[in-house]
Amino acid sequence: MKLLTKTNIYTTITTVLLFTLGIFIVYQVILRKLDREVDKQLLSAKEQIVKGLNDGISPNEFFSNLGQKVYVKKIDKQTIFGNQFIEYIEKNPEDPNHGTITQRELLFQTRANDKVYEVTVCISLSEGKKIGDYIAVVVLIFLVISVIILFLLNRLISAFIWSPFYDTLSHIKTWNIKKNKNLDFKETDIDEFHLLNDTVKDLTRQIQSDYHNLKEFTENVSHEAQTPLSIISTKLELLMQETNYNEKQHKLLVQTYNATQRLYKLNEGLILLTRIENKQFVETNTIEITQAVNEKLEVLDDFIDSKKIHVEKVFNKTLTKEVNPVLLTILLNNLFINAIKYNLEENGLIRITVDEDSVTVENTSYIDKIDKQFLFDRFNKNSISGSLGLGLSLIKKIIDFYNWHITYSYKDGVHKFKIFM
Amino acid sequence: MRILIIEDEKSLREDVVDYLTENGYKCDFATTIKSALQKLNDAVYSCALVDVGLPDGSGIEIVEHIKQHNPEMGVIIVTAKNALEDKLQGLKIGADDYLTKPFHLSELSARVYSVLRRRNFGGKNSLVFDGLEIDTTEKKVTANGNQLQLTKKEYEILVYLASNPTHLITKEALADAIWGDKADMATSFDFVYSQIKNLKKKLNEADLKNYIKVVYGMGYKFKD
Repeated sequence: MKLLTKTNIYTTITTVLLFTLGIFIVYQVILRKLDREVDKQLLSAKEQIVKGLNDGISPNEFFSNLGQKVYVKKIDKQTIFGNQFIEYIEKNPEDPNHGTITQRELLFQTRANDKVYEVTVCISLSEGKKIGDYIAVVVLIFLVISVIILFLLNRLISAFIWSPFYDTLSHIKTWNIKKNKNLDFKETDIDEFHLLNDTVKDLTRQIQSDYHNLKEFTENVSHEAQTPLSIISTKLELLMQETNYNEKQHKLLVQTYNATQRLYKLNEGLILLTRIENKQFVETNTIEITQAVNEKLEVLDDFIDSKKIHVEKVFNKTLTKEVNPVLLTILLNNLFINAIKYNLEENGLIRITVDEDSVTVENTSYIDKIDKQFLFDRFNKNSISGSLGLGLSLIKKIIDFYNWHITYSYKDGVHKFKIFM
Repeated sequence: MRILIIEDEKSLREDVVDYLTENGYKCDFATTIKSALQKLNDAVYSCALVDVGLPDGSGIEIVEHIKQHNPEMGVIIVTAKNALEDKLQGLKIGADDYLTKPFHLSELSARVYSVLRRRNFGGKNSLVFDGLEIDTTEKKVTANGNQLQLTKKEYEILVYLASNPTHLITKEALADAIWGDKADMATSFDFVYSQIKNLKKKLNEADLKNYIKVVYGMGYKFKD
């Protein structure tokens, strides 16, 4: 949920709650005031009635004098009680089917001229209630309008206030560590955003510098390792020229030499990866892919023959690309070598399909489906022993370099790599 | 045959000199352009091995000097890995071959042999051993008078081994020589192994035993 939506929801809920509470309180206060006003009228009526009764006026005359419903009756009682206010609802006498009216009455007993009277004075509250209702409705309308205006205003202001934040966000999103570019944010006069921008700038600068140092370090290590590695390798080859070794020495020497060679090849692969990354293969030639495929297959003929693999070439279209010949060779070689190396010992098959926009290599293999997640990782844990674990990541690096796309699928023992060029 | 080795890196230079000396060449060395030009004036060499990156300039200068004053001399340039420019320039001005550092010593020896053969030094175009003759012009191998039917790869392997007599050739060097770095190590070792096996079999059938010796885990040796 967006920040703006969230704050808007909260302010709206709060406003509605506060206003509702306000209306309720106002309504209650009005009713209370109304009751008190009515009670005052009732009491003043009582005074007049008591005075009238003492003066010996006939109770029936009170109606016209007071304009209120008054019921007076004589009772035979010696004890009397004071004022009793009663509120009740009754059906509207004018329209009994619809609506009710609220009545408030004062019941009291009084003694006049040695007689005891019980008097009820009655006033309808309906008019007052109606005014209260009107007020409530007006306030409600005001509430709704306020909420809408507040909501819109909030949106507008927030969108304006938060715009530097969204700008910052979009900059961070498109930031790429590999592109050596500093972040440039919109100026803002809000302290928090200013601080945020500065912090992000510092952070990215730090990350970038760390990244470059690390990259440089890795490159330097590979490059610097090259010379001592080749010296070790040559010296070992010279050591191997000696003949008078016992079996143990011979074994140690062979193992050392093999490990050195492996390390050497590995280092070579890493340097190659770095060189691709650093765009050191920029010069391009126009190359006919089908022809390149044929040439590479010819080079690998010995290996294909020695495993008696059947190679099927399906060239549906001629595909011509503007590429660096070295990179294309590395790409095709790695694809084909994998297809040969991991192929079946008997009845193996490799099918190479060239289409208008893609090259597909399918091969039978003794290995199961490869987990896509780690397929192109360097030195992935699932990599088969004996392989350097760099082949597929080289393939991926070259494909990324040209913004091509590779897919992998596995069906019925056949691995399928498809490159969209 | 005299070979001049122009290389400033002491360790590599010593290895090269030792190895080529063991293969029957007479070796001199120089470490700078200046001393190299001096040596070239003082003596006649069949072949020069020139490192492009020298302390007092580019080895290309030496190549130019040789091609001007002694065009029939063989020249092999040695460049740092990936220095494509140097390589192309060197070949353009007349170097016979190039090697990129690092290289197998056996590879160097094979290249030297091949350059000398092409330049026709030594007056013959064949390698002759006891009962075995490899004609490198016709690409024919004769064993005890009978011509051997070898495949292209078997022939290449045999020539490579023969141009490094008495030395142990590692399987890595052999694989690199035949496929470059185009092939994956493990795959090519298997293939080298099977090629050697066939080659030995063919030599055995022609009554030439023990010409190729397999040194377990390390590589192969031609004629002990």
